Amino acid sequence: MVDVKFPDVGEGVTEGTIVKWLVKEGDEIKADQTVAEIETDKAIVEIPSSEAGKIVKLVGKEGDVIKVGSTLASLALPGEAVGKPETGVPEKPGEAKPAEAKPTEAEPTEAKPTEAKPSEVKPTEVKPTEAKPGEVKPTEVKPTEVKPQEKPAEMLGRVLAVPSTRRLARELGVDISKVKGTGPGGRITDEDVRKSTVTEAKAEAKVEVPQAPETRKPEAAPVEITREIKALEERIPIKGIRKTIGERMVLSLFTAPHVVSMDEADVTELVKLREKEKKLAEEKGIKLTYLAFIVKAVTVALKQHPYLNASLDSKKNEIVLKRYYNIGIAVDTPEGLMVPVIKDADRKSIMELARVSEKLADEARTRKIKLPDLKGNTFTITNIGSIGGIFSTPIINPPDVAILGIHRIRDMPVVIDGEIKIRKILPIVLSFDHRVLDGAQAARFMNTLIEHLKDPDLLLLDGV
Amino acid sequence: MSVDWLSILDAEGNVDESLEPKLDTETLEKFYRTMVLTRMYDDKALKLQRQGRMLTFGSSLGQEATAVGSAFAMKPDDWFFPAFREHGVQIARGIPLSLLYIYWMGSEDANLKLPPKNFPVAIPVSTQILHAVGAAWAAKIKKQNIASVVYFGDGATSEGDFHEGMNFAGVFKTPTVFICQNNQYAISLPREKQTASKTLAQKALAYGFEGIQIDGNDVLAVYSVTLTALEKARSGGGPTMIECFTYRMGPHTTSDDPTKYRKAAEVEEWKKKDPIKRLRIYLEKKGMWDQSREDAMIKEITDEVEKAVKEAESYKPVVENMFKYVYADKPLHLKEQMDELQGFISKRRGNESG
Repeated sequence: MVDVKFPDVGEGVTEGTIVKWLVKEGDEIKADQTVAEIETDKAIVEIPSSEAGKIVKLVGKEGDVIKVGSTLASLALPGEAVGKPETGVPEKPGEAKPAEAKPTEAEPTEAKPTEAKPSEVKPTEVKPTEAKPGEVKPTEVKPTEVKPQEKPAEMLGRVLAVPSTRRLARELGVDISKVKGTGPGGRITDEDVRKSTVTEAKAEAKVEVPQAPETRKPEAAPVEITREIKALEERIPIKGIRKTIGERMVLSLFTAPHVVSMDEADVTELVKLREKEKKLAEEKGIKLTYLAFIVKAVTVALKQHPYLNASLDSKKNEIVLKRYYNIGIAVDTPEGLMVPVIKDADRKSIMELARVSEKLADEARTRKIKLPDLKGNTFTITNIGSIGGIFSTPIINPPDVAILGIHRIRDMPVVIDGEIKIRKILPIVLSFDHRVLDGAQAARFMNTLIEHLKDPDLLLLDGV
Repeated sequence: MSVDWLSILDAEGNVDESLEPKLDTETLEKFYRTMVLTRMYDDKALKLQRQGRMLTFGSSLGQEATAVGSAFAMKPDDWFFPAFREHGVQIARGIPLSLLYIYWMGSEDANLKLPPKNFPVAIPVSTQILHAVGAAWAAKIKKQNIASVVYFGDGATSEGDFHEGMNFAGVFKTPTVFICQNNQYAISLPREKQTASKTLAQKALAYGFEGIQIDGNDVLAVYSVTLTALEKARSGGGPTMIECFTYRMGPHTTSDDPTKYRKAAEVEEWKKKDPIKRLRIYLEKKGMWDQSREDAMIKEITDEVEKAVKEAESYKPVVENMFKYVYADKPLHLKEQMDELQGFISKRRGNESG
């Protein structure tokens, strides 16, 4: 049995997505025949097999992400008995049955060099007699020869053993998928399992470089349990936006030490103002959102606290203060969170901010957004409150040094001049990068922001 | 001011009899076989790379006529300076296939075994042009009756080395033949963005010598023009630049995705101009070729390629060689690196045997 691996097909490619399988399990393939199309970050490439043989197993589904160096498919070489343990008869290379070890003939009529496509020039002849002797007689392989590097995945689904033997394997911590059966029809006997505990111990001791841990650790009952659970689980490949979000969030949270500051803004006046002007905006076809006011207030506060509108150049060990104000707005889309960016937000009126933010959010949700509109953020706002929750701890959106989370405006009892009043309260949170900012700076920024949200008239005075 | 265009064998295999070179059956068959061999060598190399058995590789798919036609016009004694897509020239010049595979599998040992007058592959763009002009100048001073041939792409014509080499060759009338494989793209940069000049060949006129543009997919034109340029060079007539108008059918290298910068329709158009197809039609029309000969040849070449791969894969590289050949006297830092590597290897061997 040989593996068709996914090699580094570019220069420094680490992983790829299986775009399309071009063979099925059970197919007889020729040497150099393409097995799969894989998309790397450079291109979609065709991965051919080095050897001729029969596809025993394809590892992974279309859409799965696989690492460079991992196995794509397992191949039984010509003459190798596969999946029919009941035959049980050792086959010599010369005696290989034609059905199983069909010498793939050169097809000269297909191999017209006059056609430009390189894959069409492939008169590869494969001789079954070339199969290495050791690989031809699987039934002669003694249990002591079981290789530790053989992956259980190769054998999954082909284990022949009665339940009591399986239980014995679980109790002894033997990976039954690695055990070669010597019973009738290749069935695994109790004796095989017991023998392999000795073998595994030996084999393990020899291995210098450990393989991926999951392929080596003989876990108790790997086969049955995983099958039962699998039926109740759904596996969704991580790719596209989901993958990008994951990578960026890991990068952010594990690079920048996050501190979260939480506060409340009394937005009673702001609510009144919005109610008053909403109609006017509607006439202009604009949905006047709270977000527009908040973006405006944020830009005013950022101008007064420049360290919040910054990034960290860790290579040069410098803090970069930015005198432009591009505010990222986190948008929940069916594919995951996207952050369109309002460019030069400080130079836009509240009406304009309302219009632009709605437009960008719509484009993000319908995937019509253009790449430049997703880049260049200097500060980000995430509007968690539109869905729920009182407080949260947002993760900074790189390369920003802070992110503002805004929550749902609620009626809350507030003590004003010794009297309890019902006011409109907006909970706000700020996560910031403690390498660049300290708590005091963040609190001052929050104070400025709260001031402007509390008294929107200030936006008129301080704005632009 | 104008630049000539030459084409002898068109895409449908029709020949312009007034220009047709007088070649015997054996020579034409040799052209054809070498072009097919080059393509199959290329195809195998791509597969090896995709199987993790070879490093980055640049296929010459579609450019076989330029390589093979010019190579057969050369004499063994002429200098040959390749860029990195001249597989067909290397094969035509008798460099063993296994050696070419060993090189692309990552061992520079292959360069040590190159037959004389064949320079190693030059990965940096256009540096080989200076070497070629230098070798030609030396041959002129030594009154050797030889020429030097240098290959480069359309992208190289924007490099300083190209202009220095061309200028020097013009001034000193060196016996150099500049072969520009204009395959329309410098990686992803299209030809029209490379230079505002209408042709690349006209750049030779600025340096005071002849430049000609030819159909690079027409092996007869490539052969005829290169032969004439070489004869002129050897007899003291100075340099010539030949712009072979061709097309890279595949990616720039195995790390490139051409679908990102060119349209499928364009590739389809060039497929019709395939250099091998038209030569085969020409041979068939002359009664020199048929399907049974084709089948036999393909089988023979398949075996030849597979044998070469086997040989290359069984070759054990000599790691010390990588430190040996850049400097005549090894500088200290290279010596240190070599010692470190040798120590590492002997330690590992010790571990393995223990």
